[in-house]
Parts: sequence; structure tokens; C-alpha cells
Amino acid sequence: MYKNGISYSTTIILMLLSHAAMLGIVFARGNYENISDLLLLAGAVLGLDAIGIIASLCYRQMTYTLDLMLLCILNISLIFQSCFGGVHLSIKHLATCVAALVACEAGFYLTRNHEWIRRQKKWIYILIALLMLVIIFLTDDQKKWITFGSFSIQPSEFIKPCYVLVCAASIVELHKKVKVLFFYVSVDTLILCGVTLLILGLQWWCHDLGSLPTFAAIFGCALVCRLCYPKAKINKTAIIAMCVAGVLVLIAAWSLAPDYVQRRLHVDIWADRYGDGYQQCEALIGIARGGWLGVGAGQGHLHNVFAYDSDIVFCTICEEWGLLYAGLTVLIILIMLMTVLMNPPKSYYHATMTCGIVAAFLAQMTLNIFGSCNLIPFTGVTLPFISAGGSSMLTCGFLVGMLKAGQSPLFRHERLKRKPQKGSVTA
Amino acid sequence: MKSIRRGQHLITLMLLLFLAAFGYLVYRLTAEAGYYMSNADSTSLGFVYDRNGDVLFDPDADAAVYGDHFIDIGNLIGDDSLQMTNTLVAQNKDLLANYSFMLGEQNDGKAAIYTSLDHAVNRKVYDAFGSKDGCAVAYNYKTGEIYICTSKPSINILNHYTDIDTLASGSMLCSVFYPTVPGSTQKVSTTIAALETMGYDALMSRSFSCSGSYTNLTGDAINCHNASGHGTQNIVQAFANSCNPFFAQLVEDPGWTLDDIISVYRRMGYRVNGEGEQSSLDVNGITAFTASTTLTNKQEFNTQWGCMGQGETLVSPLQLMVWESAVANADGIATMPYLIDHTTTVRGEVQNQAVPAFGKKMFSAESAAHVRDIMLENGRNTSEYAAILPGTDVGVKSGTAQVENGSKENSLLTGFVDDPDFPVAFCIVINDRVRGEVTASQIAAVMMQNLKSAAA
Repeated sequence: MYKNGISYSTTIILMLLSHAAMLGIVFARGNYENISDLLLLAGAVLGLDAIGIIASLCYRQMTYTLDLMLLCILNISLIFQSCFGGVHLSIKHLATCVAALVACEAGFYLTRNHEWIRRQKKWIYILIALLMLVIIFLTDDQKKWITFGSFSIQPSEFIKPCYVLVCAASIVELHKKVKVLFFYVSVDTLILCGVTLLILGLQWWCHDLGSLPTFAAIFGCALVCRLCYPKAKINKTAIIAMCVAGVLVLIAAWSLAPDYVQRRLHVDIWADRYGDGYQQCEALIGIARGGWLGVGAGQGHLHNVFAYDSDIVFCTICEEWGLLYAGLTVLIILIMLMTVLMNPPKSYYHATMTCGIVAAFLAQMTLNIFGSCNLIPFTGVTLPFISAGGSSMLTCGFLVGMLKAGQSPLFRHERLKRKPQKGSVTA
Repeated sequence: MKSIRRGQHLITLMLLLFLAAFGYLVYRLTAEAGYYMSNADSTSLGFVYDRNGDVLFDPDADAAVYGDHFIDIGNLIGDDSLQMTNTLVAQNKDLLANYSFMLGEQNDGKAAIYTSLDHAVNRKVYDAFGSKDGCAVAYNYKTGEIYICTSKPSINILNHYTDIDTLASGSMLCSVFYPTVPGSTQKVSTTIAALETMGYDALMSRSFSCSGSYTNLTGDAINCHNASGHGTQNIVQAFANSCNPFFAQLVEDPGWTLDDIISVYRRMGYRVNGEGEQSSLDVNGITAFTASTTLTNKQEFNTQWGCMGQGETLVSPLQLMVWESAVANADGIATMPYLIDHTTTVRGEVQNQAVPAFGKKMFSAESAAHVRDIMLENGRNTSEYAAILPGTDVGVKSGTAQVENGSKENSLLTGFVDDPDFPVAFCIVINDRVRGEVTASQIAAVMMQNLKSAAA
């Protein structure tokens, strides 16, 4: 019934081989002073692999591909992050990887029952409101971070999975419509639009414009899904009007963007090589220096550039590991997202949810990779699973858990079969 | 299930779009990697050579070894310091980078630029200027290969700009590419405009009198360099005499309108009256000015003066030379000049082999052929021009340009050699000409005779 593509044992062997190969490359070409640094890293990577494999055996599940791929990419990320500027185990990144794995399971168990999670929508709205209040009142001057000692949390990251959940909708919700002016619109869609405006407004206010396209992508997917729900009368005029409205909003945002954004939108990085274009110029030079196979783990220069392990991490990987390896890493993330096509969701709610998750990941990858390579304006967002940052890793882990839930859902009637409950049961 | 499938299609579409964009990114990164590396703070660069293998740029050049070897091409070839940006090296660092995406940086790579210049002759031309400043450029008007391009004052890049405060003004700019007052060399353009508008027979039928000065229709005097006058002349005689009163009367002639002149000038690349964008010539990334002028009223002094290459008329020496190609080839089409003959990659593979390129038609072949004859006639009948390349016809037009409000005069000479085996067009400018010092025709003689010897 559920597809995994490759057998469990083969998947594990491939994962272990990929990590062993990377550690071998670090051994051969890496920049390390003591072999103990490398052994520590190898121990952490293979240890995490072992714990992940054993843990996955301890609970029953219908699909395992996504679990093992998440483990695979997180350990790849750990090797990358531990090698920037010289081989040394990044304890902080290891901790965030473990947290991401835990968040993944949390996301899975919370969202696998589509009826239950749908009924919690009002609480999710409340959670979003609370997170917005936290951003307004508890973050630093830049309105992005809450700092505890050497740790920082970015609350806006946690809004993303919540927002994906409120964007997901059931057919029942979409059928409940009210007349607004000349249009019949579902109440759920109206509330969603209001919340979206509030979130986008907040992001604009706190200058976190890098996250705007991610929220916009999730909202766009939700809108498309809502227009195409079963038996919906797709009004071509409405679709055209919405497209026009979207373009107008884009133009307005483009022209009304603050000065620092305008500079990024219009900067000729090579003409401003040591000014606004410095980061991207160095990043592109790093990619060129790395070529196909890289200069060796920890042998690059980009670790001297600001945000080398987050905003321009793709370029740092290209420099040290080569474009080939960076491309393979991107491919692994894409295959993770493609597993949704292998095991299609079984409910409309999960279908809309997975669309939102894929849109969120792709939007962030697009902004990070193409932005740092000067193909689109540079916004400074993290690369999912790879960039350093606990908030981002936790969110990514949680979203992967949701993606997994969409592939191996728990239906209420199955639960009832196993454990009959008293009281009325709604269909 | 249908709606779930729609969701699947949406996901597939998004993934495909991302993959396509990523594929494009990989292509772009691999294609532009050389450029990125050329902007790195430390890059291994290759050499630049002339057509005979002589070094024009060595990234590790030592003044003790090379001395002033590069002085004649200092502001043309330049270096990688970015102190001068409109130079061959600065504009083509990506071609010189000893780097490939596959191999990475190679300190012993074979990346190089092979130019069409003849450095030995170039140096002789530079030295021929003696104590004078100026510039000279020559190229093959059939293929576009630039043989000579030198500008004085220049800079010895091996001094690493330690003498930058004491350098003469303009040392860091190759004046071949920058605007100058063309003087009477402008009469070539005006003659072409007259031929294009009136036709050869009508123009030849015009004769105007010169008594040393002419008072135009608005009461301003146009003086001739010959105070006693040239008498009554036709266009061929007036062209040879470079007679200002004749050309003032020609501009006033009712047989054509101001719009006729402007139309032909624009086709030749002039920016007239500040309208439109200033066009430029591209020589392997080096940007060269073309021409500009102000023409408002055929009967007024300034417009007439502009048609004789004074006042607000500006042309680059390179553009003056390029127009000669359209005349010498008798087709009205410019042969586009280039410096880079070919390059080699880090592995030594030849690439970017130059091929002749041509501009759009500026004027008719008939007009070009007639101007060609007029210029050749001028060359034959003047002993100093006939001495440029003895035994070979050279079509020329000289000019004297008033600069710095008339306090100084620059001497110009532009022309071409009428020899199918030695098709060379040229332009020479001597700044602040003083009678008795080196003349443009003497520099042209050094240039042509040495080039001819080198070609033999």
C-alpha cells in the first residue's frame, strides 16, 4: 500500500555509505590539525546514524524513506558545518540536528490525524497570535530575535508550520460560504486572508522581508488549492482578477520597499564589489574557486565572510566541496519533497498541507541559493536543513514530520478499530 | 481524489520549475566562473602578446627586466590593478585568468591574449612623437586588425603608480578612444554629406570663391588659413586646400537643407544637438567615443564652423580612422576594429579567434568611391603626403584643430593606403603643434614604412 522505493536495509546502507564517503573526503582533503578532531566528528555522525536507525525500529510506521532521508541530510549538514574553516565538531549544530529529529516526530504525531488537527485550527490561530505578540514585545531592536545568553530564537520561524496548518483546509470548511459584496467566500478563507495580511504586515514592520516570499508562496498554494477544491466552480474572471491583484501587490511592494531593500534590488554587485555587493561577490568567487570538486573541507576562504554558515551557506559548500556535491545535497532535499508524489496524501486536508510545506521549502531554497548566487535579489534566508540556526532547524524538522504525516496518515476509523471509545463519533 | 491529484500536479510543477532554475544556475555559474575569478583579490593571470609574440603584459613583470618596454602601450594594455579601467587587461581579465571550472586555479596555466598589435613598430611611432604629445592608430581596413595604437603621454605600469602624482595629465587615458576637436578632417564628413544629398555631378558643378575671408549670410567672417585666398575652386581643389570659405559657402548652399546634413551625420554615428544616446565603439571591451556636433542653422557661424570640425564638434581618432575604412573600401560600410586576434585557455586551447566584423551602411558606395578619389588626389598632389609611403598612393586629409579657446592648435592627419596587399587606414593627432617640430605626415611615414617592412 505504501511505497518506499528502496528497501529499508538498502536505504540504511546507502545513507551510511554517503556519510562514510564524506568523512573519507574530509580525511583525504580536509583541513584538520589533529586526527582526533576528525574522529570526533566521525563518531558524532555515525553515532547519530546508529541512534536514528535504532529509534526508527522502535516504533511502527508505514513509511521510512523520509525518516532516513532526514537523518541523511542532517548528518551531511553536520559534516558541512563542522568543516567550515577547519575540521572541528560543531556541538551546537549537532544539538540542533537532534532537536530537528525530535521536532520531526512531534510534527508527525501532531498532524497524522487530519480530523483532529483540523479541529485545533482555532488554537493554531491563537498560537500564531501569541507568536506575533512575542515578536512585537519580546524581540530585540531588529524585531527578529530573542536572545538567551549565547542562544537566540527567531519566533517568526515557528509561525511557518502554524501558517501551513491554517492554510490547509478540509472540503467541509470550503463548503461553508457567506456572501461578501458580490462573492460567495468560505469563512475559513476570509479568516486566512486576514491572518495572512497581519503576518505579512508584521514581517514588513520588523524588516524580515526575506520571510515574506515564503509566506506568500504558502498562501499562493493554499489559494490555488481552495480554487480547485472538488465541485468548485472555477471562475476564470476571479482567477484573472486575483493574478492581476497579485502582480499589483508585487509592483507596489517592489516600489514601496525600504531603502536598504531597494539597494539590494538594484545593486550591481561587481560595481559595488566592496560595498553592498561584497557578500555576493565573495560568494561567487568562492563558487568559482571551488569548481566541480571543491578546494577541500575547511580549505576555503568564505568562512571569513559574514553569514557563511547561513545566508550564503550554499556557496560555502560549493567552495569547499564543489558544485557537484552542493548540487547532490540540493537533490537529496528535492527527493525528500518528491516522496509526497510517491505516497500521495489520503485526505484533502493533508493534500493542501503538503502543498504548503513543499512551497515553503522551495521558496526558502530559491531565496537562499539563487539570492546568494545573484540570480535574484539577496534576502538572507536560511537554506533548509543545511544552514546553522536552531529555530530554522526545528521548523524544518517539524515540517518534515508534517510531510511524513501526509504520507502515512492515521484515520479516525483505524484508531477506533484498535481502541473503541465511548460516546458519539462524528464522521 | 481528483483534487488530491491537482495538489500533486501543483507540487510537480513547483519541483520542475525549481529544477529548471537550478539547471540554469549551474550553467551560468560554470559559464561565468572565469569572470568571477578574474575579480578575486589574487588571481593567476596569463600574458598578453603582440602579433609577433612580444610580451605586452606580464603579471609578474619586473622593472629591472623590462625597463620601459611597456611605455608605448601602458594606457592601452594596462594592468590588473584597476587603476585604469578602460584598458585591454582590465576589460578582459576573465580571458587572462589561469583558471577553469574543471581544473580550478593553475599557476602554470597557458591562458593568454594574442593581440593584432605590432609592438616594435608601435614603439617606433611612439618615439617618433619626440617631445610632443598625441596619439596614433592604424588598422587593416579590410579585416579590422589594429596594428598600431599608442598615446602619449603614457604610463610605465611597472612603476606601480608610485609616480601617479607627477604624471602628466592624460597619461592614464589612451586618447585614441577619447574625443578631440577634428579640425579640417571633418571636411571628409561634410563632403560625404554633400555627395549623399546633392550627388556627384551637382557637387562638382559648384564652385565658390575664396579671397582669404568670407562673410556669411548672418554677417560673420569665416577666415581662410591662406590670407590671400584660393580664388575660385571646385570641391576637389577646396578639399586639397582645406579652404574654409569654400566649405562655409557649401554649407549655405540652397541645394541642401540642414536636415540633410544632420541625417547623413547621424548615419555616420554623430550625436547631433545632444539628441539621442551618445553611441560608442567597442574594441574588445574598451569603450571608444564616436562623434558629436551641434548644428542649428546653416547660415550661422557656429553651424558652418562645426561642419569644418571646429567649435562644438568632437570626434575620437579611432572613429576618424574607422570612417576611412568605409571610404577606402569604397562601400560606405565601416570595418570594425579589434585588438584581440585570439586567446588561449588555461590548457592552451585556442579560442575567441577574431573574425572581421562590419558596421551598418553609413553612406552609399558611390559617395565613398568619390571621396576616396578626392582623398587620393590630395595625397598624390602634396609632396609631404606622397612621401608617407613612396611608390604607393595614400589618400589623406589633414586638419588643424583649435583647442583651449584657440590658444593651441592640434595637428591631425587621417587617411588610408591604396594597396590591396597593404590595406591600412590611420589617424594621427599631435597636440599643441608648433611649426618646425615633428609633423603628422612624418609620424605617418614612420608608421607606414615600418609596418610595410614588417609585413614584407
